[in-house]
Amino acid sequence: MIDVSDVRVTFNKSTPLESVALRELDLVVPHGQFLTIIGSNGAGKSTSLNVIAGLVRPDCGKVVVGGQDVTDWPIHQRSRLISRVFQDPKMGTCEDLTILENFALAHGRTQPRGFRFAIDKGIRERAAERLKLLKLGLENRLNDKVGLLSGGQRQAVSLLMATTGETRVLLLDEHTAALDPKTAEFVMELTRAIVTELKLTSVMVTHSMAQALHYGDRTVMFHRGRIIFDAEGDKRAAMQVSDLLALFKRDQGEELSDDALLLG
Amino acid sequence: MSLYELLGTVEVGLIFGLVALGAFITFRILDFPDLTVEGSFPLGAAMAAILIVNFGWNPWPATLAAAMAGFGAGFVTAFLNVRFNILHILSGILVSISLYSINLRIMSGPNKPLLGAHTIFSAVQGWGIPTYILSPLLLAIIILAIKMLLDLFLHTGLGMNMRAAGANPAMAAANGVNVGRMKLLGLGMANALTALAGAMFAQSFGAADAYMGIGVIIIGLASVIVGMSILPVRTIAQATLACLFGAMLYRFAVAFSLNADFLGLKASDVQLVTALLVVVTLVGQSSRSGMGKLLKRKLS
Ligand SMILES: Nc1ncnc2c1ncn2[C@@H]1O[C@H](COP(=O)(O)OP(=O)(O)O)[C@@H](O)[C@H]1O
Ligand SMILES: [Mg+2]
Repeated sequence: MIDVSDVRVTFNKSTPLESVALRELDLVVPHGQFLTIIGSNGAGKSTSLNVIAGLVRPDCGKVVVGGQDVTDWPIHQRSRLISRVFQDPKMGTCEDLTILENFALAHGRTQPRGFRFAIDKGIRERAAERLKLLKLGLENRLNDKVGLLSGGQRQAVSLLMATTGETRVLLLDEHTAALDPKTAEFVMELTRAIVTELKLTSVMVTHSMAQALHYGDRTVMFHRGRIIFDAEGDKRAAMQVSDLLALFKRDQGEELSDDALLLG
Repeated sequence: MSLYELLGTVEVGLIFGLVALGAFITFRILDFPDLTVEGSFPLGAAMAAILIVNFGWNPWPATLAAAMAGFGAGFVTAFLNVRFNILHILSGILVSISLYSINLRIMSGPNKPLLGAHTIFSAVQGWGIPTYILSPLLLAIIILAIKMLLDLFLHTGLGMNMRAAGANPAMAAANGVNVGRMKLLGLGMANALTALAGAMFAQSFGAADAYMGIGVIIIGLASVIVGMSILPVRTIAQATLACLFGAMLYRFAVAFSLNADFLGLKASDVQLVTALLVVVTLVGQSSRSGMGKLLKRKLS
């Protein structure tokens, strides 16, 4: 479903600040797989999602999604195939629009409405029906501006929006990192439920090793722009966070310095 | 103020309502401070005047053509910004100074009188009621119709995409909105409205002038800021109404301050007074509420 091959990304090329974020990255995510990505800060996790979504153009290499070579597609065109939830709750929703309008916007991703009214009875009903899943009472606040919602509510709405319409690929970049533990847990369980229900091909970046092993079907670890570890099936099922840490040490011959990873 | 003067002020206030709607689209919806209007207002005036006087066009298609020329001007500004990444303010300045030369070319000189020519206001002549009463009425109908069309547009799928593109470009793009295209369309629309205002102003005033664009940007902005800080703006329809109201209020404020002898103001002081008005309103808002800060950020 997603096929990233031989992708290299350099930021600030030919300047003193030049840094290589991805080094000849190859990553294939088969149809329906739920992949979790882990790695220290600056390892290239977000950059790899940005390459898939079109925010970052690689120096070389190819990105194929759903059988189509999207390497040269702009973001808005890729959004017909790919949807995503950002880390910052403010990014996934538009605070000046109402909850309903945000929903309609997400709906337009795969079914643009052009000169027809953005909102009709069908969209209103669908939005209310989806929002009921959250059990937050948001289905009764359809005409409230999204800016009035809390971070957790907004992130839950972002997730619903990203899974509206016909896109089959979902990218999640530490989408629970900005939330308090209880809300984070709620949004994670919601993610699992929706991904399973819709059989989405998903890639989730997370800061927590426990989360990476607990959710999804496969886990990869990034380090300095490369994938240094890739596990699925029985091998993964038998893994503990401590095993991951040991692996990291062995492969890199260095201590893992990122405290946040250890605590996760 | 006589009735005649009063209705004259209403007429100009209505016409500048279109400028305010344009500023609403660029500053408030697209978050794109657009200076093109300084050139597209006289462009509309020049186009209408030349088509009516030199080419003998019927004033209605001439006025429509003027609006389309304005659309082109806004489109070019957005194109410079979207395609070549030129800073939005600079793009607008480049186009508006180019338009200054172009307008002189169009009119073959610095101005073009319309006295005695057929204008859109000729339509209300010979009804037995003085034209200074019927002209503002005609304008009010046209401007309210345009306001409602804009309200409707902003509620379509495309219009909502435009609002999202201005409010949160990254999120809009992630939801399939071609943000660059929305800027092209929005700036085109805003400058079409401004050029339309220029065309109507020239026909009302009796001449087109290459210098008549000076200060249009700040008048539009003042109207939006003042209108939206006085009236409630919870819905799109309320917001556009507030813009029209702001433009009218601004005209009356100008008329009164010029009429009030004790203030000792001259007609040439208008720009200064306008700038002060904008500053005072913005400062007042930012110290009053978070909403004011939001508006200020969006508008400055
Ligand atoms: N827009 C950018 N400009 C310059 N450098 C960037 C940019 N985005 C990421 N980087 C750099 O690329 C590397 C990988 O970053 P990122 O993919 O965000 O890491 P993470 O794994 O923490 O998500 C880091 O060294 C980061 O500083
Ligand atoms: Mg990151």
